[in-house]
Amino acid sequence: MSDIETMTGSGSSPDPQAYVAQVMSEIEEEVRRRRTSGDLPPKLERELDELFLAHSPVAGRGGDLTEALRMVDAATFVDPVVPVESERAAGTVVKKGMRTVLLWYVGWITHQVSQFASAVSRALHIVEGRLKELERQVEVQRVPGAGIVEMPAVDRAESWWVAPAIDAVKAVPGRILHAASGDGWLVRRILDAGGDAYGVDPRSDLVEQGVLTVSDLRGEDLADHLRAVAPAGLGAIVLSGVVDGMAGGERTQLLHLVGLTLAPGGVLVVHSLTRAAWDGEEAPFEADLAPGRPLRATTWQRLLQQSGYRVTVATGPGGSDYLVTAVRATVPLPEPTPPR
Amino acid sequence: MSAAGPQGPPVAVHQFIPTLNPRDATGSHTLLLREVLRDAGWRSDIFAEAIHDDLASEAYKYWVYPEHAAEGDVAIYQFSTSSAVAGFVAERTERLIVDFHNFTGPEHFNGWEPRSEERALLARHELGLLARRAELGLADSHFNERDLRRAGYRRTTVVPVLVDYRRLGAPPDPRVAAELAAAKTGGGIDLLFVGRIVPSKGQHELVKVLWAYRRLYDPLARLHLVGGSSSFAYLKALRGLVADLGLADAVRITGDVSDAALAAHFAAADAYISLSAHEGFGVPLIEAMAADVPVVTRGAGAVAETVGDAALVLAGTDPLYVAAAVRRVCTDAVLRQRLVAAGRQRLPQFALDAVTPQLVAAVTSVAGAPA
Repeated sequence: MSDIETMTGSGSSPDPQAYVAQVMSEIEEEVRRRRTSGDLPPKLERELDELFLAHSPVAGRGGDLTEALRMVDAATFVDPVVPVESERAAGTVVKKGMRTVLLWYVGWITHQVSQFASAVSRALHIVEGRLKELERQVEVQRVPGAGIVEMPAVDRAESWWVAPAIDAVKAVPGRILHAASGDGWLVRRILDAGGDAYGVDPRSDLVEQGVLTVSDLRGEDLADHLRAVAPAGLGAIVLSGVVDGMAGGERTQLLHLVGLTLAPGGVLVVHSLTRAAWDGEEAPFEADLAPGRPLRATTWQRLLQQSGYRVTVATGPGGSDYLVTAVRATVPLPEPTPPR
Repeated sequence: MSAAGPQGPPVAVHQFIPTLNPRDATGSHTLLLREVLRDAGWRSDIFAEAIHDDLASEAYKYWVYPEHAAEGDVAIYQFSTSSAVAGFVAERTERLIVDFHNFTGPEHFNGWEPRSEERALLARHELGLLARRAELGLADSHFNERDLRRAGYRRTTVVPVLVDYRRLGAPPDPRVAAELAAAKTGGGIDLLFVGRIVPSKGQHELVKVLWAYRRLYDPLARLHLVGGSSSFAYLKALRGLVADLGLADAVRITGDVSDAALAAHFAAADAYISLSAHEGFGVPLIEAMAADVPVVTRGAGAVAETVGDAALVLAGTDPLYVAAAVRRVCTDAVLRQRLVAAGRQRLPQFALDAVTPQLVAAVTSVAGAPA
């Protein structure tokens, strides 16, 4: 009887789920024990992976260039001494004779093939080295993505901009996306007003709190989400706390995605802090770490008008934030040029 | 041609499908759904881009549909891959239901099958294209429903796929059954997986598990991989791995098999094992439950919601871990009994008589009640 079988006495547990949970933990224990005892060393498991990789197309190996080069290196030598084993009685003798006769010729050819393969491999190693160096340099200069920047004074349900934002989107045909939705406070308000709203926010802790009361909150990155949405699939998009700290390229990419996903006649609402508020003492620390700074309201107006939106701007009472409401042209616009 | 339905009420609910194949889940579902629709009182025919020879009399080519079209028709598009039919349906004006069975994402074909990768990208686009027209998105699972919602479908509902798992009750193919029985007399367990041989199904992971299982527990264990291949590169790599591991006699790659042969495989299996990286539903998991075969599976995609508590659901594909789970299922009589019993309890919710009213209600919500 195996060690596993000796553990099956636990089967008397009356609760099936508890029993399965217990079985799973016993399996884990069994695995730990087997690994420790060296029954199946990790090295062997790695070899299994490599064995399969050896039969896979290079691009199917997870795109690891070093690994692919290792395979190339292993295959550069072409062996001219062919195997001579045979199932037939005289086969081995015949094959051996042929090999001896042909070796001078085959050997000359394979030597050149091996030389060529080695030269290619060397060149690839040089390319790999330079690529790695480039990656190191790029990594140092990489601009981190903007986080969500929210100011408690303006990003809340009672703020001045919430009612006009809801009025602008509640009656649009199609779904209404709010990002960053946090715990769903604005989604709830839009739903109450009759709009078909849902929310997206990368801060999973807030989303987890929110899903208890709002059914459709999704913990994911806004750009990733928009890429998955069907073209012209949204009736309205409300952005709050999202665009303020974006770097130029990130903002351009977002506008491109908004252009793809917003239906003709759809509404884009952007709530942003002003630069004065951004630089004020009340601004959260994320503002300092963000790669960009808020645009002026007039810049948003210009940007969106250029893309064919009808734009209105409202500034908050304290001058610390503003609301841009943009209605997309009702005829389909030419597809926006993707950012380079 | 039996595709021509009986003359019934004026409203017709027709189905459109890329490929009508008798032995894939979407094809079987489509054929069953046609009968459900006809029984409910609608006229219903099937229109496809490609039709398997065995089903030549069951469907029309989709481009002849305009000859059959009538005002008030409702179209159901069976979505499981990219197809010209999607574009055709998108341009029509009939009220549309998209019945979504999911498709393997392009990332799973990356490096293996460039054409399949391209088709998967197209499928993603087509799903979005149809979202604008669809009045209802039907999903086999909540996992699939999430994809529909992400693609912009406003109204969705979940109804399991129609599976006539009673077909497994058919007498097993005697030749296959005899072969499997002969192998069993020499000892060793039989592990079974049913699915297309493509990278996302992870048959190579199953081979690794078999290797570990034979090394640790049972040197005579065998693995049966049932299903046709739609990736030559992957099949070649799989065969290479099997040969390198010295498992040529222990791994049987059967290709497509008849229902009777499939029944023989389920009858001989000691465990059904799946390490698929992507499943929109997982019909063979239900078939395994119907055949009283305990299931060990990776919980990817919709698998966990399909099997519920009727399987050992694992997080990954670690060969040692999976082998230990298989061993436990094959040797722990209590566990085995509980999994099989849970499977039997779970089956009724996927039974035709349970799913049929849900489908009829969903179709009625768009087409109105049949006259």
